[in-house]
Amino acid sequence: MSPPALQFLTAADDPFPVVAAEQAILPAADLLLGWQQWLEVRAQWPDGLRVGVAFPNDLAVGALVPDLPRLARIALQFPKWTDGRAYSQGRLLRTRHRFGGELRAIGDVIPDMAAQLYRTGFDAVVLRAGESIDVANRMLRLIPAFYQADAHQRVPHFARDNASAAST
Amino acid sequence: MYQYTDFDRDFVRNRARQFRDQLGRYLGGTLSSDDFGHMRRQNGWYVQRHAPMARIAVPYGVLGSDQLRVLAKIARDYDRGYGHFTTRTNIQFNWIPLERSADVMDELAEVAMHGIQTCGNCIRNITADAFAGVAPDEIADPRPFCEIMRQWSSLHPEFAALPRKFKIAVNGSLEDRAATAWYDVGLQLLRNDAGELGFQVRAGGGMGRTPIIGTIVREFLPWPQLLAYLEAILRVYNEYGRRDNIWKARIKVLVKALGPKFALDVEEEFAAILANDGDGVAPLITQAELDRVSSFFGSPEGVRDESAAAPLLDVPPAFQRWAERNVRGHRLAGHCAVTLSLKRAGQAPGDVTDLQMEAAADLADRYSAGELRVTHQQNLVLPWVREADLHALWLEARAASFATPNIGLLTDMICCPGGDVCSLANARSIPVSAHIAERFEDLDELHDIGDIALNISGCINSCGHHHSGHIGVLGVDKDGEEWYQITLGGSDGAAGNGPAVPGRVLGPAFRDSEVPDVIETLIDTYLGQRSSSAERFIDTFKRVGVDPFKQAANGARRAVAEPAVAA
Repeated sequence: MSPPALQFLTAADDPFPVVAAEQAILPAADLLLGWQQWLEVRAQWPDGLRVGVAFPNDLAVGALVPDLPRLARIALQFPKWTDGRAYSQGRLLRTRHRFGGELRAIGDVIPDMAAQLYRTGFDAVVLRAGESIDVANRMLRLIPAFYQADAHQRVPHFARDNASAAST
Repeated sequence: MYQYTDFDRDFVRNRARQFRDQLGRYLGGTLSSDDFGHMRRQNGWYVQRHAPMARIAVPYGVLGSDQLRVLAKIARDYDRGYGHFTTRTNIQFNWIPLERSADVMDELAEVAMHGIQTCGNCIRNITADAFAGVAPDEIADPRPFCEIMRQWSSLHPEFAALPRKFKIAVNGSLEDRAATAWYDVGLQLLRNDAGELGFQVRAGGGMGRTPIIGTIVREFLPWPQLLAYLEAILRVYNEYGRRDNIWKARIKVLVKALGPKFALDVEEEFAAILANDGDGVAPLITQAELDRVSSFFGSPEGVRDESAAAPLLDVPPAFQRWAERNVRGHRLAGHCAVTLSLKRAGQAPGDVTDLQMEAAADLADRYSAGELRVTHQQNLVLPWVREADLHALWLEARAASFATPNIGLLTDMICCPGGDVCSLANARSIPVSAHIAERFEDLDELHDIGDIALNISGCINSCGHHHSGHIGVLGVDKDGEEWYQITLGGSDGAAGNGPAVPGRVLGPAFRDSEVPDVIETLIDTYLGQRSSSAERFIDTFKRVGVDPFKQAANGARRAVAEPAVAA
């Protein structure tokens, strides 16, 4: 397996901030809309113009499934970094619903979440203001192998290694 | 017992390195106290009154003598020379400076130990029947499944920030000795009509402010599907468990709120996991993996059926008494399991000094193939003792303070550390236990009173399992004073105690000075009411009801309160 890779951004240089709630929505490339905004424009949204949606962490991701082919990115939210609902959402979008676009973590996101974010299918992370990208990269790689299956490693450790190697 | 592979060792060492990195950032001022708090808790460091408490996992209660010696070394070198075994079969230290915490993690990692996920809102250390693998009434050994779940739950990426803590208990015998109905998830091994092995699954049990007995959500789950089913439960909980109110955040509240829909939601999620999530390969535990892990849990080398030892002649009555209370039957002929009592005069229940830990490790090496168990009643067990060695073991255990013949008796109390060290506690629990122990130090009297479970918690978090005690004592705060609420008739679900049930509150709380008198009057009431010496406290209580006990306790209330008012 290739070493884990996650794109870390700071809020200051995030190229895709969520469009403000009061702003009028005109179809354009690379917008990241709030969930309510998307619900209002989705019927009229041009075919082929891929869009991003920031999805709340207290709704089931099933609501997103019909739109997945139209979405370039989904931003999942951590209102507090200790609120782990978006880990389950990411895992489901990647593993069960085979979402192929970008999964982005936004909100109160800190470097020490890096491994969990990567393993639940995120590929871009907007860190909370003031956090260090260097630390995030170090945290991402500090523990190189885990027991469980995840969004990248689809079989658990026991089915990969223990099955062939005698324990030492 | 399970032996770490290179993978397991690297995993624990890397986790220790990660913790050292986080500690360094915290001490260096680049990681806030609040953020670091969540990280250190998930490594077992919980800041208490005096220092961070270190809670070290003893996975499913199985402990090697080499591990116990390292715990003794940690007690001596880093703490004040003692540790405390808990109802969750962990060991806690109370005096280790945070600056030295990473060094402790490194020392533990060298003997396959850690504090991973012993605190915080995550899947905690999994507990099991302390007599797993040796009990004569065992359907199947829970330890291999516990180890498989330990690995699965360790740094599970999806469940690192749950609404609240999550505890799993597993029982493999006919008698439930793991209090499974009291757990977030309780697993009972059983065989179906076709003879296949699986689990009855309960969810939503728990103590705390609202004691609830777990609901059976699955009557039979084939063992290969265990992890997939747990993942379904955890995912439903992670998504829908309440996060707005810490007192409503445990899964028991969700299970109650959803009613039958909870099990349906879990089944739906479970079906989707099996159908969709494994890239064409259903995410099951394989027979090969169960076999691999099970291979660590057979009888230790050289331990096999033996003809029963010739009965000892002229044994002293003290040995007889100890053998009756502290020695249990075994699945192997000529063997037994011996409980080393950690309930003795002058020491808090569950406490062990460094020297006692080393003495227990020596006993394990000499008499039990180097293995011990931690019980949820806060004692140690030697699981592989030859009957022929019993007398010699008794002599040594007695010299080392472990042979109080009180297992299952009134002084075999469960007791949390309480307000002496715990910052959550409303009241102290250790002095209460000490006063009761002093009051009932006469062994003849204790044995006459017979089987009884007295459980003491210093606060509603219920670490001392007061809800499941025949007599429960709960410390409460009233205007800055320590008071104690008494409950009667609780059960952990073990045979003889009846189905798991919370005890009934015995009216308003009592002053600390009244508690020993109240306990004594409750015992006197039992002795006066019992139909014969064979009728145990809990059975008398069930037969005569709460009223005679309530009356007697209220008498003790007045008797003590009046002089206090006069003064």
